[in-house]
Amino acid sequence: MKVFLDFCMWFFGGFILFYMLIVIVSYCAMFVIAMIAMRKRYKLDPSEYDDAHIDAFYSKPVSLLVPAYNEEIGVVDTVYSLLNLRYPQTEIIIINDGSTDSTLQTVIEHFRMKPVDKIVRTNIPTKQVKQIYESEIYKNCILVDKENGGKADALNVGINVSQYPYFCSIDGDSILDEKSLLRVMKPIILSDGEVIAAGGNIRIANGAKMQLGSVTEAHLPNNHLVIMQIIEYARAFLMGRIALSKYNLVLIISGAFSVFSKEWAVEAGGYSTDIIGEDMELVVNIHRLIRKKKEKKRIEFVPDPVCWTEAPQSLGVLRNQRRRWHQGLFESLWKHKTMTLNPKYGLIGLLSFPYFWLVECLGPLVELGGYIYIVVAFFLGKIYYEVAIILLLLFVIYGVIFSIASILFEAWILNTYPRPRDLLRMILLAFTEIFWYRPLTLFWRCEGLLRFVLRRSDWGNMKRVGIGEKENSI
Amino acid sequence: MIKLSISLLLTVSGVLLVVLFLFTIYILVQRKREIRFAEVRDTFLQNSAQHWYNYLINDEIFSVVLVPRGRSQVAAIETIFSSYLKSISNEKVEHKIKEFSNVYLKKFYEKDLSSKRWSIRMNALYRIADFRIEALLDTCQQFEKTKISEEEYFQLLKIYSVFQPELFIEKIEESSVSYSESEYRRLFALLEDDVFIRLFEDFNSWTTKIQFAAIDTAAVKRNMQYIDQLKKLLTHEMPEIKIRALKGLYEIGVIDEIDPYVPFVTSDMWEIRLMVAKIFQHVPLNYTYAYLEQLLQDENWWVRSQAAKTIVEKREGIAKLQQFLESSNDPYAIEMAQETIVRKRGSK
Repeated sequence: MKVFLDFCMWFFGGFILFYMLIVIVSYCAMFVIAMIAMRKRYKLDPSEYDDAHIDAFYSKPVSLLVPAYNEEIGVVDTVYSLLNLRYPQTEIIIINDGSTDSTLQTVIEHFRMKPVDKIVRTNIPTKQVKQIYESEIYKNCILVDKENGGKADALNVGINVSQYPYFCSIDGDSILDEKSLLRVMKPIILSDGEVIAAGGNIRIANGAKMQLGSVTEAHLPNNHLVIMQIIEYARAFLMGRIALSKYNLVLIISGAFSVFSKEWAVEAGGYSTDIIGEDMELVVNIHRLIRKKKEKKRIEFVPDPVCWTEAPQSLGVLRNQRRRWHQGLFESLWKHKTMTLNPKYGLIGLLSFPYFWLVECLGPLVELGGYIYIVVAFFLGKIYYEVAIILLLLFVIYGVIFSIASILFEAWILNTYPRPRDLLRMILLAFTEIFWYRPLTLFWRCEGLLRFVLRRSDWGNMKRVGIGEKENSI
Repeated sequence: MIKLSISLLLTVSGVLLVVLFLFTIYILVQRKREIRFAEVRDTFLQNSAQHWYNYLINDEIFSVVLVPRGRSQVAAIETIFSSYLKSISNEKVEHKIKEFSNVYLKKFYEKDLSSKRWSIRMNALYRIADFRIEALLDTCQQFEKTKISEEEYFQLLKIYSVFQPELFIEKIEESSVSYSESEYRRLFALLEDDVFIRLFEDFNSWTTKIQFAAIDTAAVKRNMQYIDQLKKLLTHEMPEIKIRALKGLYEIGVIDEIDPYVPFVTSDMWEIRLMVAKIFQHVPLNYTYAYLEQLLQDENWWVRSQAAKTIVEKREGIAKLQQFLESSNDPYAIEMAQETIVRKRGSK
């Protein structure tokens, strides 16, 4: 028995150590790539660049899709923030996905919506559309009332109704900057359509001061759980998105605010209705299509902040979110498992998929194993102390040092939280990450994995406070 | 080995933490400096705003208060100039900004161009073009000879297009860098009409990206001078050029004869038929109805839809469509005509 236990401890110890080293090395590499890319832009006057694209002549029209299911609190504010966007040609399509509250009535009354007869081309099959309305106040604002079919189905209806060559999906709780759309469309416009989808850097809105639906000043909130998420977002941004985007390896662009070429999205079959992570699914399907058609197209991540979103403030809601995200990730990777290490898909198959499998998807399992290992090792006695200490140190490098580096680098380049006090608070909190936040999120993500295996999908919706209320409460 | 690893990892973590600590201090010091810079800038902005207004708008005499002392004051002036240039279009103001920049800002940007930092050089190039600092043209040409990035070269081309169009065309011809269509459009948009027309005359010698950009720019400039140029392209062998030329003519919106467009009604490409249906918006219905009726029965949804829209927007459009409903037996065309009539009535 003891021999077997010894073997297990050495084997798992070695395995986890090896795994952690691989992860640390790949994160380091991505961090360096991101640093070089971002460093170049330091002190570059952004207004010159933003303004160059304001003219309708340079830009391409975009349909903004707002799927709404029981969003009576937030939907009006969301639409106002879209009306606020500085972009020459847009249409706003609100899709009421069979809400059971008064979402439909609220929108109809607020924007003086009038029923219209309109033939919709069914590019993507969807649930039945009941009625289409047009606003009497804002000519470019349309409301579609449809049978309940989920967010993906609502977005597909939006794509069918839309008349412009690009569409942008917007989450009900997203707060946009007036330059959001310009920034996210920039790579598409500049590349003459070589970039067929783009997503931007998502920020956490909790603690930000807002005026008329735009963020005017960012302050660090008091809730430690939210601060940890801010740090996590900065990390994901610097150690992942930028580097992956540079080599066209992005598999996830946030559904909170991303633009797609309609032609490509339709050809890829639109959003899948039978999967949790419909945004990732669409990106992967488009990648597949690019390879199939052997065209030189790219999916890009824009480092500029484009969208502010409300982060969960309580453990329960955060747990739901993380469980759902991870379940979605696993589901998508599993669905496209044949792409993994498949040379037919180029770097996506050879690099991106293995990275997402090993680091993002199965990582929590191994890492949580590491935590358990440390605890067990201390009980089992002296001989395992050393492995446990090494593991702990790797966790420190991985958790604490990478987090602090991300915070500092973010502060240096983007300066989202200008107050020195905020910066120091984030750094101090980063030291505590490995003791509570990390294990908790790991546990939740593992729960997500388990739920996928058990095929459970009764995930809850996030409870919203509504942007308007937040404006007063923060 | 493990012992060694522990000490190694401890050392690595320690070193990294020290580096991060130093970096934190650096950032905090940097923040302090930025705050001081912003204070000086804002004070100057506040104190001089009225003087600037008097000088630029009220034609008052130049005051020495306006001459910048140091970087932060230059930053304030940049803010002021940019906002004036963006919000008012006035030749006199533009000229004054140009004059001032050529004398008092020149040396700052000249120095910036030799900066090691790419972003500082780029900012300088932006300003040289925005404030029309012609005095730095030679410096720019010298700068071109150094090792510069594609983005910097693009800004240089923009500068040349404003100060020396001849040189600009020359550079475009010989340029080894190929830009995207939208970038070419950004370059062409600044060109004077006569230079732009010359660019058009050599149409066939340009790459397709430049050709496309030239057509689109012509469309946006909405200048009658370009109509003939665009019409010539209707017989071009490349369908994409034809479509864009049609689109350009539609945008300009002046159609003096329909004969050149009639053959396109039966084109093999639906995009071309769609464009013709759009162009007919600018022609009275009695000249075009026969063709539009044909397009209303087109096999393509977009063409049918556009033809119906074009008809219904005309004064006698609804009556014509109703006549069509009574006589036609094409179910798709009938559906489109019906929906268009209902929509039109609904919007009234």
